[in-house]
Amino acid sequence: MRESFLLTLRALARGHVLTVLLAALALVHATFPALVRGDGTADGAREMFLRAVPGSVVALVLVSLLSCACGLFARERDLHRLAQTVIRPVSSFSLALGRWLALCTAALLLLAANAAVVAVRCKDAPDCRHHHSPALPPPAVVARQMMEEYLNDPNTPEAVKKAPRRAVLALLTNKESDRYDVVPPGGRISWPFNDIGLGADGAGTGVLVRVCFASAYSMRSPVRGTFILGEAAATVSNDTQSVVDIPLAGMASCTNGLVFANAGKDSVMLRPRRDLELLLPADGFMANLLRATLLSFSTAALLAAFGLFLSAALSRPVALFTAMVLVAVALMAPSAIEQFPDELNVSLANRIGLALSRGVAFLTSAFAEPSPVADLATSRCIEWPELARTLVMNVLVLPLLLLGMAARIVRSRPLSAK
Amino acid sequence: MNTPVVEIKGLKKTFRDFWLRPVAEAVRGIDLTVEKGDVFGLLGPNGSGKSTTIKLMLGLLAPSGGTVRLFGQPPRSRAARARLGYLPELSYLHPFLTARETLLYYAGLSGMGGTAAKRRTNALLEQVGLASVANRAVGGFSKGMARRVALAAALVAEPELLILDEPTSGLDPIGTRDVKELIRSLASKGVTVVMTSHLLGDTEDVCSRIAILSKGLVAACGRTEELLTRKQDARFTVAGLDEAEAKAFAADAAARLGKEVSFDHPRVPLEDFFAETVGEAR
Repeated sequence: MRESFLLTLRALARGHVLTVLLAALALVHATFPALVRGDGTADGAREMFLRAVPGSVVALVLVSLLSCACGLFARERDLHRLAQTVIRPVSSFSLALGRWLALCTAALLLLAANAAVVAVRCKDAPDCRHHHSPALPPPAVVARQMMEEYLNDPNTPEAVKKAPRRAVLALLTNKESDRYDVVPPGGRISWPFNDIGLGADGAGTGVLVRVCFASAYSMRSPVRGTFILGEAAATVSNDTQSVVDIPLAGMASCTNGLVFANAGKDSVMLRPRRDLELLLPADGFMANLLRATLLSFSTAALLAAFGLFLSAALSRPVALFTAMVLVAVALMAPSAIEQFPDELNVSLANRIGLALSRGVAFLTSAFAEPSPVADLATSRCIEWPELARTLVMNVLVLPLLLLGMAARIVRSRPLSAK
Repeated sequence: MNTPVVEIKGLKKTFRDFWLRPVAEAVRGIDLTVEKGDVFGLLGPNGSGKSTTIKLMLGLLAPSGGTVRLFGQPPRSRAARARLGYLPELSYLHPFLTARETLLYYAGLSGMGGTAAKRRTNALLEQVGLASVANRAVGGFSKGMARRVALAAALVAEPELLILDEPTSGLDPIGTRDVKELIRSLASKGVTVVMTSHLLGDTEDVCSRIAILSKGLVAACGRTEELLTRKQDARFTVAGLDEAEAKAFAADAAARLGKEVSFDHPRVPLEDFFAETVGEAR
């Protein structure tokens, strides 16, 4: 493993891959801040910088790393060097592991350099915040209850009763995820939140309510009302903004949940699962930057293992093409699924596409779900349990699985000795 | 009874296309045995199955039929690979590594520790005449120098079986002579060598046994001396005879024996002549 690790690291260093990537990183940091513009505020400028600059560097590192990984076994096999390696008394797994560790080292180096520059540039960035959503039962559970009620209701049309259960369930789950709560003029509504640690003395201050007033149908109308959390309250008067952070004044507590009293002339429609969050103070920007870097590293580690697996199985161009297509599909699959929520009404071709998208989204969720750059830009605290879970999956379980499969292919695939 | 170093029985290899249709029958049933200390030459024209046989021996290809055993083990076993060294037809080195790093890399892969690997690497660099360029990247080496590095890499783990594919390819006559000397020296120490070469003179010089392959089958196999010596004829060398004396001697012998007698003058092999000439010039 040591030899494989050193060989790959030397290849990256002496093949000028690391030099070029470090130069690209410097170039992005030097030029992009002048190109991106915020909304005129310091916070807006910082958010744009964080989205554009570290985001570009992370994307560059991930794509370059994947490209390198796709070539490691394939290139050596094509150049007939692999034959001389595998005839030695060394396990294929240690060959794969050494290469993967070298790629991870390179990724860590580049991401750490990126984080260091971001830390210097954003040293006065605000602290990050925990984001809490209302404590509602999962949409799938609600959907199942709704379906039972539909099936037991004698008024339900026979066509619905005969429809495939999975399709109906998927449809109802989507509908529940997007369900609107309507608050009539003069009305009140309460959303429950789990115990989120607001009870201690002095705690519960600095709590924000984040509300998204932009509906999926863009029917926003002026909103007037009051949010109440325990003894803390805040009035909202919004005509233009789609997302509003409302600071609660007074001592907040979660005993009765978050209440909204509509004081406007029109009904207010809010999707509790999508439009409402409580934001609580967490730790500093630097700690969140560290977690974001670790999260980006976990994605890099997973992509490196995936590239090595493809490299063991395919020739370099085919491996690279396959990897890029899969990454693109993985990134697009969630929006494809969201575009076609109604599985009962789409054509067979669309249903096949939807099933494929769902499959890809499921298989690539470990890669596609974490969004460290967006979290950093929006000061959303990356939670340690979530980070730990992602690290275990992306840096340990999935890579070991992929490297094991790569090693098996290297061991069993015929090699030319020419 | 000693286990043969290489034992091949009924070996077959058929190459197939994507749809598993047979494309070429490269090896059609080969039986070979190589004993410890043999220098075994595998000869044959292009397409005779030499390279495929070597790949099958190394475990780089899976046989379609028959078996290959190295030291009584399957060729893909770690036990067999720990005792194996291989020099491919072309050198295929990592161009960004220095000669020393290349040897240390292969020593490490063969399970040699730090100090032992360094000592062995230094000794081999001296042996192949590359000590002065040990810290230069092999990407800038000439073909002959790269060949020497590859040979050293094949020897780095002190193998008991050395498989050499065209070992003298790319070497100048002095290098060729050195390699042949090295092969003889290794054989005298009990190392078994299996080699292929298109240079029949080189093979004849160093191989104790040869097999000639043709169309995927063994056409001839045996000890080099036995295969090449024509025992029904005899040849004498008399020192200090000029042309006229030699003719008279031949005529006398023909008359006395009642058989046709011919003579020629011994020639120095070109390789020896070249080595002497270059040696004097240096």
